[in-house]
Amino acid sequence: MAKAFSSGLSSVLSGGADTIVARATAAGAGALAVIRVSGPETVRLAGVLCPEIDMGAPWRARVVRLQDGAGQFIEDAIAIPYRSPRSYTGEDMLELMVHGSPWIVETLVETVVSAGGRHATAGEFTQRAVANGKMDLVQAEAVHEVIQAETLWQARMAREQLHGALSKEFRVLKDKLILFLAEIEGSLDFEEQGAVVDYRALEQAREECEKGVEKLLDTVAVGVRVREGARIVIIGAPNSGKSTLFNTLLSRERAIVTETPGTTRDVLEADLEIAGLPVALVDTAGFREAKDPAEAEGIRRAEQEVSRADLVLELFSAGEGGRPVNQPQGERRLAIVSKMDLMDGAVENGLAISCVTGEGLDRLRKEIHLRISAPMGSMTGSVAVNARHSRALERARSHLDGISGLPLEVAALEVRSAAKILDELLGSVDDQEVLDAVFSTFCVGK
Amino acid sequence: MRTWDVVVVGAGHAGIEAAMAAARMGSSVCVVTLSKDTIGQMPCNPAAGGIGKGHLIAELDALGGVQGWAVDRSGIQFRRLNASRGPAVWGPRAQCDKERYSELMRRLLVRTSGVSVIQGEAVGVVVKRGKVSGVRLAKGEEVPGRSVILTTGTFLGGVLHTGNDRRDGGRFGEAPSVGLGASLRNIGLELRRFKTGTPPRLHRDSLDYTRLETQEGDENPQPFSWRTRAVCNRAVCWVGRTPEAVREIIEENLDRSPLFGGQIDGVGPRYCPSIEDKVVRFPHHKEHTVFLEPETLTGPSMYVNGLSTSLPADIQERVVRAVPGFEKAVFLRYGYAVEYDVVAPKQVGHDLQVCEVPGLYLAGQILGTSGYEEAGALGLIAGVNAASSIQGTAGLRLGRDQAYIGVLVDDLVNREHREPYRMFTSRAEHRLMLGVDSASERLMGEGVRLGLVPSDVFHVEQQRWERRKTVAGALEAGVLVPNKANKEILLKNLGVELRTPTTWAGLLRRQDIDTCVAAGMAPGLAGLSAKDQGIIIGQLRYSGYIDRHARERSRVERLRHVPIPSDFSYQKVSGLSREVLEEMERVRPQTLAEAERLAGVTPAAMALIAGRLSSSERG
Repeated sequence: MAKAFSSGLSSVLSGGADTIVARATAAGAGALAVIRVSGPETVRLAGVLCPEIDMGAPWRARVVRLQDGAGQFIEDAIAIPYRSPRSYTGEDMLELMVHGSPWIVETLVETVVSAGGRHATAGEFTQRAVANGKMDLVQAEAVHEVIQAETLWQARMAREQLHGALSKEFRVLKDKLILFLAEIEGSLDFEEQGAVVDYRALEQAREECEKGVEKLLDTVAVGVRVREGARIVIIGAPNSGKSTLFNTLLSRERAIVTETPGTTRDVLEADLEIAGLPVALVDTAGFREAKDPAEAEGIRRAEQEVSRADLVLELFSAGEGGRPVNQPQGERRLAIVSKMDLMDGAVENGLAISCVTGEGLDRLRKEIHLRISAPMGSMTGSVAVNARHSRALERARSHLDGISGLPLEVAALEVRSAAKILDELLGSVDDQEVLDAVFSTFCVGK
Repeated sequence: MRTWDVVVVGAGHAGIEAAMAAARMGSSVCVVTLSKDTIGQMPCNPAAGGIGKGHLIAELDALGGVQGWAVDRSGIQFRRLNASRGPAVWGPRAQCDKERYSELMRRLLVRTSGVSVIQGEAVGVVVKRGKVSGVRLAKGEEVPGRSVILTTGTFLGGVLHTGNDRRDGGRFGEAPSVGLGASLRNIGLELRRFKTGTPPRLHRDSLDYTRLETQEGDENPQPFSWRTRAVCNRAVCWVGRTPEAVREIIEENLDRSPLFGGQIDGVGPRYCPSIEDKVVRFPHHKEHTVFLEPETLTGPSMYVNGLSTSLPADIQERVVRAVPGFEKAVFLRYGYAVEYDVVAPKQVGHDLQVCEVPGLYLAGQILGTSGYEEAGALGLIAGVNAASSIQGTAGLRLGRDQAYIGVLVDDLVNREHREPYRMFTSRAEHRLMLGVDSASERLMGEGVRLGLVPSDVFHVEQQRWERRKTVAGALEAGVLVPNKANKEILLKNLGVELRTPTTWAGLLRRQDIDTCVAAGMAPGLAGLSAKDQGIIIGQLRYSGYIDRHARERSRVERLRHVPIPSDFSYQKVSGLSREVLEEMERVRPQTLAEAERLAGVTPAAMALIAGRLSSSERG
């Protein structure tokens, strides 16, 4: 199986068989930091850092004394040695758990580098894991996603992908393609032995492949929803209660704290997790009605937000005479009467809420959850394809399009190409750029 | 005894091509054969060619080999398989009068100047100072040679099985070669055991042809060789089916089958299974097709294609006589299986020379192939390279994108083989470009370079290619405007509604027209032979796909074609495992792509080598 993942791994190529080192935990001070070393010289370098370590007794955590290149004591730490191939990368490895002092970490890393190691590049450990057949490229992508997961669905999907659930789908599809190819080749190469072309079997095999591709492509929307999330925009006339609703929703849903350095906003935007999915909630309270040209800009921005939105909550204030609007609720739009506590009589149709009394809020939440998680219905298992996968699948599909009308020996070529694309998806890649693209998003130390 | 340039052991399909090629390149050749009477035998199917195999014959012929010529001269029925499909997968095939075939080959061999034939048994390869120096015969004498080509077929350690009857033999009625296998092991070669089988032969007059379907040859049979002007059909074949009763008979008696009873160790080919193999593997198939083929034009022996077996004689009789039409069949010979030694082909290079023993070449079934065509192709390669090596000239090495012969050699040398290797079109990833009709264009130049094809023949062919290219170009360039006249003509003759301007090429690419009619109408095309017309149209239909795939391939193959200098030092690549290091030094792959395909080479090793290459480039 290892042979399937072929040549061309940029960092490894440029350095040959170096031993790499990096901090694996986040930068800055913290209680603990983890340092990783991986490569053919790990044993020797371990001996430099912690002479008393016994690399012959791997996979055991031991307390060791760490020192720098000159033999100066740095600190005691926990060390776990790994021997190839039973390690994350498949090479000899050493993991150190040290106090999270930036000085300690830097000194240790530099000690290793001075003794012959090299700073790892982004994603390099995982790249080596792929190179050594410990995981395929699809699983490697999931490593990054597991780390970045902020919501329930992100975590769930990433975990499944890391365990190979999506890889399995790709392999199943590839098997279908190979079966199809076998039918074709069988009818081409065996005529003299009395083999007759079974067109029905060919057609069935083709259908199986097409269905397989479509099933996976159907999950694109899910993938986008899970990874990038949805946008909910609150609009309405001034004083219709937008900001109140905004704050109410904020307090009831889990906020996601993200670093988004340097963005200025004219709108109020908050990141929440709703129904396990990341949601950007947008309050257009800052936009006013156009009374003069300057404010027309505000209106334009609000309209822009609406067009970008996955769900629009349009508020009508009961207090201002807003009727319970008998508009059909759309998938992308909810018409809500706010401040229903100011209303006489019951609400016949539509959604009515009162942020003061809390009435109608549960129902509103339910409606929102429903719409936000609507795409999840087409998920396959708990995995969904990402942009790289969907581009590849679309290329595969284009090879299968119209294949029924082709001469068999040409059809064989198309099916082979489609199967190769699936191979590449899993990491059997000759194209440098693809690999670089995947691993460049990783952090150093991963 | 004088020292020969090339000593060829075995005078079968591989041996003959090797000897002929080397001799015509100017080498002195000595052929050692167990019997001068059995030169050029067709021990199994009295036929040559087919799908994949036909491609090999065409290529062999373009290079100057002789098999195609002999097939043409001894052919009694010619059929093109896959005729309804595109030209890339056409498989020309011929039934031959096998006695005439071997007589032709025998006469050719003994009359070729530079070739001497010795009757004797080779029992050992003589190696002096690490290089081959000749062959030792059973009686003790040595035949000195600067190079040795072993083409022992199924004779190495051959054992024949019919039911419980087990006897030493390379073929029916012929003794095996015994000592040679041990000698090869002594030199350090790894041998494996393979098997192949052959069906019974029935007496022509004892069969009821009214119960069988006739199969005629093609209406316009085409010769295999450029040496042949025309061929004709002189015989007919028949098709029968084994009824369900056969399945029962075999299932009941599987324990008496040497294969299933355990007496045979060797692994047989999956795609040429014995009838008992078929019954076991395809139990849901009620019937199996069999073909009845005359072994000679007038003789009594009929070959039953599809009924290969090593079951005991009495079971064979029951099985055969259960087939409608064969009820009173008289057996001239029973089917049997032969187990034999092969040399694991990873031990030879692309020139078919044994890596560890310079000067020693292997060709044919000894390398684990199955088929006369595969053997012939390998024989030519070995013969050419042995002769070139002695003369100090460039040998012959064909790429996978150049010829099926290239695919054959590359597959043998680079991949693990557990069963006899036979050519299929699906083995060639460049199938669309390797059709039989392009064999001469692809390879005749090499044949001329080697001195195996006369240059005047080449010039005639070149003119044909030029004319084809010109016509094809005109078809792509000439625009058909949808004016009234054109629309009428096309609608009337081809049923095509012309709406937008198109070229004749575009028109001919369509699958829904009568190609013959269209060819008659297209400018320039009508003046060419039917064969050339077919070639042009075939190429047109493939051109779009070939281009598209060529583009994709070049995108992907950039990295793979990174060349590895022949003096590249793998020792200096730190981190390479010992096994990989040895493999690399032995095979000396010429590109990264080749290195990658070697068994045992891991991705990590590839990365290390590639890294070393690029850093040494950067200085």
